[in-house]
Amino acid sequence: MNIQFKKGVLEICVLAVLAHKDCYGYELVNEISKRIDISEGTIYPLLHRLKDEGYVTTYLEESAGGPPRKYYRLTESGRKEEHEQKEEWLRFAASVNALLEGKNDAVE
Amino acid sequence: MLLNEQEFIRILRSRLEGTLPKDELDDIISDYAEHFSIGRTNGRTEEELWRSLGSPDDIAREIKAMHLVKKAESVRSAGNFFHAVVATLGLGLFNMVFVLVPFILLMILLSVIFLLGIVIAFAGLAGVIYSVLQILGLSDFSVWLSPLAGVFLSIGMISTGLLMVIGNYYLARFCYHGCIRYLKWNISVITGTESEA
Repeated sequence: MNIQFKKGVLEICVLAVLAHKDCYGYELVNEISKRIDISEGTIYPLLHRLKDEGYVTTYLEESAGGPPRKYYRLTESGRKEEHEQKEEWLRFAASVNALLEGKNDAVE
Repeated sequence: MLLNEQEFIRILRSRLEGTLPKDELDDIISDYAEHFSIGRTNGRTEEELWRSLGSPDDIAREIKAMHLVKKAESVRSAGNFFHAVVATLGLGLFNMVFVLVPFILLMILLSVIFLLGIVIAFAGLAGVIYSVLQILGLSDFSVWLSPLAGVFLSIGMISTGLLMVIGNYYLARFCYHGCIRYLKWNISVITGTESEA
């Protein structure tokens, strides 16, 4: 897939993972790069932007046998944003899929 | 060049120093340091971690552009705007076309309206002075219309010119807002690296 497209959906992916559970950076990056091939380094600037926009907050938590880790958590407005973007994405994806399937039917 | 954490952090820090406030810079650096530290605990080498993170230069460019656009948004000034545009241009070849060209066209449009407004207003002013001189009989050089009509026409020109300059100011403000939104969108969609990494 074209890398230019991937970055555009990164935000909704990050919001979706965080809606599921609070994550520390490395964990979040792993969750996403497991499924999407992208330069992992761009996720941190994105997290900072989301923090600026008030969609996520951070807190430190002790880890077993290591220094405390910085966790990212969705705020109320972050949850709302996640919900809206998800709805929008699902509608969009459904339309694209319908078109793609329609096209295949016509070809067959 | 050694692909290790120390070098990665050094490059990132050196590219961002002087642009980002210290607390923001430290916050970002700490994220990457934590990433390396947890990655090592999970048995990955620093070189592996570096390769999947991507180039620290690209990351720094993106953080810088994001910061400068944010700054231009909160403190409106031509200088801040210019810095934000230049930083966004640096994100990739794609932006040479999709940021630079619209930016230049916009600048030309705004300058032309401004200059045209000034020229019309000054021409009007000259017209008023000339027509008044004619009415007072200080100038006997005859023109194609009566001096009184000349005064009204000239005042009309001054108003038109001033309206253009004022309208241009509001147009520029409107564009400023729109441009900032476009730059933000651009940064969130366009990647620094254009390879199919």
